[in-house]
This record gives sequence, C-alpha cells and structure tokens, in this order.
Amino acid sequence: MIEIKNVTKKFQNETAIDYKDIVFENGKSYMLLGASGCGKSTLLNMIAGILSPSSGSIIIDGIDMTTRSQKEKDKFRIQKIGYIFQDFKLINEMSVMDNIDILRLEGVNTQRAIELLRELGIFEKKDSKVKHLSGGQKQRVAIARALVKAPDIILADEPTGNLNFTIGEQVIKELVKVAKGKTLIAVTHDERLACYFDYVIDMNKMTSGITDINTEGGVDNA
Amino acid sequence: MLKFAFKNMAIKKVQIILIVLSIVISAGIGVLAFNVSNQVSDGITQNALYYSVIVGPSGSKTQLAMNTMYFAEEPLGTIPYSFINKLKNDNRVLDVIPFAMADSYNGYGVVGTSSELLKDRELSDGKMLNNSNTFEAVVGYNVAKYNDLSVGSVIHTSHTVGGSDTHKQGIKVVGILDQSHSPYDNVVFTQIQTLWQMHDHSAEGGEGEHKTVCALLVSTKNPSYATQLANDYNTTITDEHGHSVPIQAVEPMSVVRDVLSDADDTKYIVFVLCAVILIMNIMIISIITLLNMYHSSKEISLMRLIGISMGRINLLYIIQNGIIGFLSTLLAFGISRLCLIFMNDYVSSMGVVLNIGKVYPLELVILLGIFIISVLPTAIWTFVMSKRDSISD
Repeated sequence: MIEIKNVTKKFQNETAIDYKDIVFENGKSYMLLGASGCGKSTLLNMIAGILSPSSGSIIIDGIDMTTRSQKEKDKFRIQKIGYIFQDFKLINEMSVMDNIDILRLEGVNTQRAIELLRELGIFEKKDSKVKHLSGGQKQRVAIARALVKAPDIILADEPTGNLNFTIGEQVIKELVKVAKGKTLIAVTHDERLACYFDYVIDMNKMTSGITDINTEGGVDNA
Repeated sequence: MLKFAFKNMAIKKVQIILIVLSIVISAGIGVLAFNVSNQVSDGITQNALYYSVIVGPSGSKTQLAMNTMYFAEEPLGTIPYSFINKLKNDNRVLDVIPFAMADSYNGYGVVGTSSELLKDRELSDGKMLNNSNTFEAVVGYNVAKYNDLSVGSVIHTSHTVGGSDTHKQGIKVVGILDQSHSPYDNVVFTQIQTLWQMHDHSAEGGEGEHKTVCALLVSTKNPSYATQLANDYNTTITDEHGHSVPIQAVEPMSVVRDVLSDADDTKYIVFVLCAVILIMNIMIISIITLLNMYHSSKEISLMRLIGISMGRINLLYIIQNGIIGFLSTLLAFGISRLCLIFMNDYVSSMGVVLNIGKVYPLELVILLGIFIISVLPTAIWTFVMSKRDSISD
C-alpha cells in the first residue's frame, strides 16, 4: 500500500503543489489524469524516490520513504519499483537485451527478459539496436525493462505520450496484462484509456482524492 | 560489470579510438625517446670498454676513437708498426692488436688486423682469420649478403671507395660474421700482413721494414693503467727512416664520455621536447576523456533514473577507462618495442644494438603515469557527478 500524506512539493521557481492524501492499494491499477503541470509526474517521481517531497510523507508498505537516505531509496527503486518513462530512457546505441541487462549492474536477475519480450511481441527484436525500433517497440522495451525484476509497484509516466492512440492503446492493454497483480500507477492525459484501469484519479481535483470507477471496468467520464 | 563496460565501450568506438590513439602516441613517444637515448648511451659506452687505450697518430682524439671503434671517419694517418714491441714490453699491457684501415670492397671498408680483434664475434659460416696466413678475409654479415659472398669467394679490393683501381691479387673469404647490427656487419677483415703486401710493404721483412698501422688497440692488465698509458704515450717516436712521428694515446672511455657530454645538450633538448609533447598529450587525453564523460552524462542520468546507484556507475566508468588506459599503455609499450627493431638499422652505425627486451624503470613510471592520467579524469568526473547527483536529497 502506498500512502501519500500531506505532501507538498516546492520547486526552485517557488511554485508548489499540495497533494491531498491519497492511498494506492496493493495489486490495483490506477490512472492519474490531469492537465500538464498539475503534478502527476512529480507524484510518480516522489513515489519512486527520484524526487523528495518538501513536506509530508510517502509511506510504502508501512515504511516512510521520506525518512530514508537517497541510497536506500535507490535500492528500493531498483528492487521494488518498475518505472516506465514517457521518453523511454533507453540507450539508443545498445541492443534491446543490453538495455534490459543494464539492471544486472545492480544485481537484478534479468532471466525473465526473453519471456517478457515474447509476451510484448518484440522477441525478434531482442538483438536490434534501440535506435532502429519504432516508438511503440521502444515503449515495449521500456515496459520489459521495468517488469523484468518482477517489481511490486509499476509506475508509468505518460507511457503512451509518444505514440498514436491505436499503438498507445495496445501498449496500455499489454502493460495492464503483464502488470496484473501488481500495483500499477500510470499517468496519462488520454481519458479514452481509463477503461483499462481499476481506478482513475483526477489530479486536477487534488482535493477530490480517488475517483472510484464503475465495477464494469470503465470510467464514468460523464 | 566487465561485460557491460566492454559493451558500453563498443558503442563509442570513435571516442575510444581517439583516446587510445592519443595515449599510445604520447606514451609511445615518451617511452621510446627515453629507451633509445639510454640504450645508445649505454651501447656507446659498452663499445668503449673493449680496449683500455688506443695508440695512434696525433690529431683528433674523437676521430681516432671513432675510426677504430666504429670503423667510421678517415684514419688520422699511420704510425710505425714497430711501436707494438714497445707496448708489448710494457708490463702494464696485457695485449696489443694492430689496426689498419685501407682500401675498400664495393664501398665496404677493409680492415687489416689480427684474429684477436674478432675474438668476441660469432661466425655464421667458415672459420676465423689465421694470423699465420695471408690473403684471407672474414667478412661482415652485410658485406656477404649484399655481395653474394660465401666461404671460398675471392674478393678484389680497391684503393678508393668504389674505385676501379682494384688490386690484382684477390683475398679469399674464409669466414662470414654473424649479424650483429653493429659496424662489424659492414667491414672486411683481413690479416694486417695482407694489407702490407698489397701495398708493397714486406710482410716477411724483419723489424726494420717499413710497416705501418693506423692504430694499436691496447688492453691493460688493470683498468687503472689506462690513464697512465694515455699520459705516457702522448709523445713523439722515430720511425725506421729516422723521421719523427708524433703519436697520441687515448682512452676510448674518456672520448666517449666527452662525446656523450656534448650530446647531453642535444639529449636535454630532446627530453624537453618529449616533456612538452607528453604534457600536451596529457591535456589532450584529459580533454577527450572529459568530453567523453560529458557525453556520457545523459547515459549516467538515465542509469540513475532506473535505479543504478552512483557507486556502481562510478565503478563502471572507472573500469571502462581503466581498460582503455591499460590497453593503450600496453599498446604504447608494444609499439615502442617495435620501433626499436626499426631503429636498430639507424643506430647500428654507432656500434649499438638496441635490446628490445631492455626496460628501464623510468619507462614503467612513465607508462604508469600515463595509465593514471587516463583514469584520473574519469574518477574526478564521476566524483563531481556524484556530488551534483540529479537524484538526491
């Protein structure tokens, strides 16, 4: 369980974002909706330990991550969190497998990579350099890299931001499928994808907390 | 880690090649200059140790020494051969070898001497000179090679270099010297009597006959006698015709020391130039390495975002540049040794054979220094990056 409590994030340009308390339950998928600049990505980065909140607490499975050192947060991120970035964060000159194997620098077992690449339909590209892949293929590689370590939490920051809707939808379907049973928090501004998630949080309404979705699996966008 | 370091290097081939080249050039030049300079000095000094004293006509000490040790330069003139008896009777003297340089064979010098001059030389074929015979020759490796000579061949020497006025009587090749990359490779050795007979000096004659040599090479019983002899025999003697002949005795070691002392200024300039090149290359290595690391900063931040710790990233780049530094210095060392082989042809005229296996401690220090310099910018960069870590509290 991830608990966001009284979190405020101030930036150097003195803008600040105040977050209402939010709770993400284990094994559920969440979609964070909202306009640019409302603090969606910042929230993901704070959960991942990439950014630190200026005040408040982020408690993951009972551990207040804000009290931990950067080293401990790094360790937690490499062990427990799979992060999928909008711009993929892949090394273009390296092959697909090497981009996944990079995690072995921290002792991550990447044996599942082949299985994941098959599931994501890019197994035949495993030896191709990333620079030769399409945007959709790159995002699948990023997903494979995030999931190869079997993380408890998957964070996805605009995973479809660089893709057209059809491919983006396909990627989201695959992501939700391979992330089944994990806590998935995905940031997107495309409401059409909301139907694939258990919950949708409208980050524009920071005080509104979690917007429950209907039990049929779709979001009530009305 | 090592595997990933190699993969990371493979994607930056051009930068890596540039770094390796700059290290190889700087380290190679530094090591080669130091090695050659020292081996040449050592070699020249070693050559001077064969004889304690050289007795010859008055004139340039350097010319006398160069002519007898390296068969270079024209002989100063001649002194009466009879003077050998006085030297042999000196109880400080161990042995005296006659030396005369006259005539040439297809441009190669002809030296009249006794077999003792060649006692430390190896033969590739045939036998050594027999002092009791005449008109026999032991030829240097290059002389035989470039004139298709073999044991049994007969050569005709001439009065002048490349001249047509060849002596009618031929000299039979009885031995061929093994290659030594020294001036001995380029000389024809024959008995001193052969030269006298060809120049109408009777080899059969007694003490009163007009026989001359260019120099007498003296070995002393004790090294300390050399200076005494050099002082005692700077004098004037009288030849068989009653003419006064001024002679000099020089210590080859002292001549070499003077020559090397003169060369020290040049050596100093060479070292200063090498140092400047080395400093410039150190700067180039540092700049290229830093640029390489700068270009890697995107890669580093990427690795940080996916959870790779700064410690592991530092280690990765230090290993990577360590490999580059190690391979480059190894390559620089190998290339410097390879250059020694080619340089042997140039320095052999000084009687020096460059030993490829010879490694001076300072060479290792230079290589170690270059290795450290190739790794240091990375260590500094990664340290700075870790201080400016984008992911930090």
